This record gives sequence, structure tokens and C-alpha cells, in this order.
Amino acid sequence: MAKLPISNQIRRLRFEADEMTQQQLAKLVGVTRQTVNAIELGKYSPSLEVAFRIAHVFGMPLEEVFRYQADLKKE
Amino acid sequence: MSFREKSAWIFLISISLVSVFFFLHVPWTLTPPPNMRLAEGLFYCILALVVIEVVGHIVIAIASPEDARTPKDEREKLIDLKATRAAYYVYVVGSLLAISTIHRGANIIFMSCAVLLAFVIGEVVKHALRIYYFRRGF
Repeated sequence: MAKLPISNQIRRLRFEADEMTQQQLAKLVGVTRQTVNAIELGKYSPSLEVAFRIAHVFGMPLEEVFRYQADLKKE
Repeated sequence: MSFREKSAWIFLISISLVSVFFFLHVPWTLTPPPNMRLAEGLFYCILALVVIEVVGHIVIAIASPEDARTPKDEREKLIDLKATRAAYYVYVVGSLLAISTIHRGANIIFMSCAVLLAFVIGEVVKHALRIYYFRRGF
């Protein structure tokens, strides 16, 4: 399976948010734990709405949570 | 394993077992005679399928009630759509092949069984793909 061009910081942000579990994040966002896991592992790209919800849970802008691969190459 | 993946396994196993049992009893000749026992067998196989699936789903729902109550999320809906799309092509090809047997002298009973087989194969493909996508993540 081709690697998705979007990376994310969800695992780190969960840890920093009082070691939030995937299940807790899933409940807050409105998806299943397996979907959160798939997003973290880069196997699934969430919709814009779910991406915004995740960013909202952590109180961070979208670009701090998700990064498009082209942005990573510039740094 | 998520509730939806367990559900896919129940569908896959139940339809595979019941359909193997049914199709082993179908007389696969091009012109089988009308046979009420075949129709009765089909009825009881469908009944058995429904019972197995309902009982199976009750069991997994009792095991994880929270998961069972959670509606499908976007990833699960997309997995269903992808799997259904692939199954559709199987249905179409299988049905066309079944219908084409008329040129070999097949009667309506043979064609009906062949179309039913195409449907079953399509369902098996659908649920197998759902499981594959769930295992892979997407």
C-alpha cells in the first residue's frame, strides 16, 4: 500500500494530553478507535471534518496536527 | 477487532457455509427438472442464514455493547462502499455468464441457480474485501 502523503502528530499530542488513549480521542471526535489507529499509522486520511475535530480536541491549528508531505520536504 | 469486522466475519462464514451446503444439492445439469425440494431447500437455507447471522450479531453485540451501539464512522462507510463496488462487478459478470448458458440449452432452473451462485460469490467477495480493508487499516 502506498504511503499517504500526509503525516500527523496525533500520537505525540495524545501523550502530551495526559496520555489520552485512542479510545478517548475516538469518542471525542466521533469515530472508532480503529479509525484513530489507522489515521495515526498513516493508513487512512481522514475527511476535513474529522481532521478539524481532531485538531479542535487538542486545541491546535490543523497544520500543527497534520502536515502535507510537500511541506516536510521544504524544511 | 472492531464490531464491524466481526460482523463481516459472521456474514462471510455464514454465507459460505450455507451456500456450500445448498449448492452441493443442486443438480448441476443444463436442464434439471422442476423440483420442489430444491425450492424448499433454498427456503430453509435462507432461514438458516438469517438465524445464524442474527444469533452471531447478538453474541458480538453482547460482547461489546458500546461498539455495537456506535454508528458507522466515515472509514467504515468507505470500506463498505469499496467492497460493494467490487462485488457489483462480480454480480454483473456472474449474472451475464449465467444468462449466457441459455445458448448451451440451459433451462430456467439452471439459470436461476447460476444467477444465485453469482450473487453468493459476489457477497463472499464483498465481505472478504471488507475484512481485508479492516485488517489493512483502509
